[in-house]
Amino acid sequence: MQCEEARARLDAYVDGEMAETERTVLRDHLAGCADCGPEAAALQRLRDEIRQAAPVYRAPPALRSQIRFALRREAAASGAPTLRASSWLAYAASILLAVAVGSGGTFLALGERQEDRVASEVIDSHLRSLLGTHLTDVASSDQHTVKPWFAGRSDVSPPVVDLSTEGFPLVGGRLDLIEGKPVPALVYKRREHVINVFVLPANRVDLGETLTRRGYSLRHWDEGDLSFWAVTDAAPTELTEFEHLFRAATKS
Amino acid sequence: MAWIAERRRRSRFESVVLPHLDAGYALARWLTRNDADAADVVQEACLRAFRYFDSYREGDAKSWLLKIVRRSCYDWLERNRPADLVPLETATDPDGGIHTPSAADIDTEALLQSRSELRRLDRLIEELPPPLREALVLRELQELDYRQIAEVTGVPIGTVMSRLHRARSALRRAWDGKGCR
Repeated sequence: MQCEEARARLDAYVDGEMAETERTVLRDHLAGCADCGPEAAALQRLRDEIRQAAPVYRAPPALRSQIRFALRREAAASGAPTLRASSWLAYAASILLAVAVGSGGTFLALGERQEDRVASEVIDSHLRSLLGTHLTDVASSDQHTVKPWFAGRSDVSPPVVDLSTEGFPLVGGRLDLIEGKPVPALVYKRREHVINVFVLPANRVDLGETLTRRGYSLRHWDEGDLSFWAVTDAAPTELTEFEHLFRAATKS
Repeated sequence: MAWIAERRRRSRFESVVLPHLDAGYALARWLTRNDADAADVVQEACLRAFRYFDSYREGDAKSWLLKIVRRSCYDWLERNRPADLVPLETATDPDGGIHTPSAADIDTEALLQSRSELRRLDRLIEELPPPLREALVLRELQELDYRQIAEVTGVPIGTVMSRLHRARSALRRAWDGKGCR
């Protein structure tokens, strides 16, 4: 093998893109040639250096949830009209159907799956609100400012109370998207921690105790015809305390 | 029911495509050379991919996503930083070496910063013209083989080989020339 020929094939050689027979011939040449041998070694060194020196870029966690969010919005916008108009109704209908044709077990399985999905969307939304610049659409500690802001923007009219004196100041509210539907999110703080409360139409499934998922505390309760999902990175006990205060204050 | 089909399509898309999000982001980051721009481009690319998802056939999902991310990067660069897209033929170095950005490209501060960091190999990679840069990044950092690189960048395998060769030669010249290491 001539040097010129060998040089032209060095990249393919170090990249492992060479048939075994040609590889053997080239390897023999490199072993015996005082010019080409070091050349191949230098090329291999460069490759090692690149792998060591180049930063490893990874998608930021916020981007992942932003994309999920954008996909849901996209799917909702392009989906069948039933999806936009009445996905809740459609879902309820599918559960009823499952009850009619199946067993109680089916009902439970379907119900749980929806709970899981909502829980995971609630956490995604919470995360997004922390990482983005979009914590609130309406920033106010005044419940009489926050509550009316949702009128006309959402089907759901959430009860809003300020709990500053109890250590959970109201920060504001924003419109978020859960299951492809715009829903009100109330934003509270516990010291430096944010608590997001999502208010959805009730679905009558109680999660019971405070769940911890992916490092976030999550509580879910139904009140009247509304379903509340509270999520925070503060301690689970603090979220439980928040729920008691919030429920007591909104009942009165 | 249409909404169930739509939900199923979305969840299939997420399970096929999102595992390769890091790879997509890394390519976009190397091509846009900026975190925020890379994130914008990747999000746009994912929505684009979702729209074209019906055209995806079982197979190499990573290459499929990278191809769309790459296309989105070039579209974005064309709109926002056309100066980055110097055709290979007119790059300062006929071998496709490190091109010197025109004055319009960069402000003085960025230039000073880039000079002080010039030693760094990753900065040298960033200064390669995009066609050489992407070939190198896909090969060395994403560990794609020639056939996959050809698929992602839409050129014949012979072109992939010559671009890789030019990228490495340019890096070695720049690196040795500046007395790095």
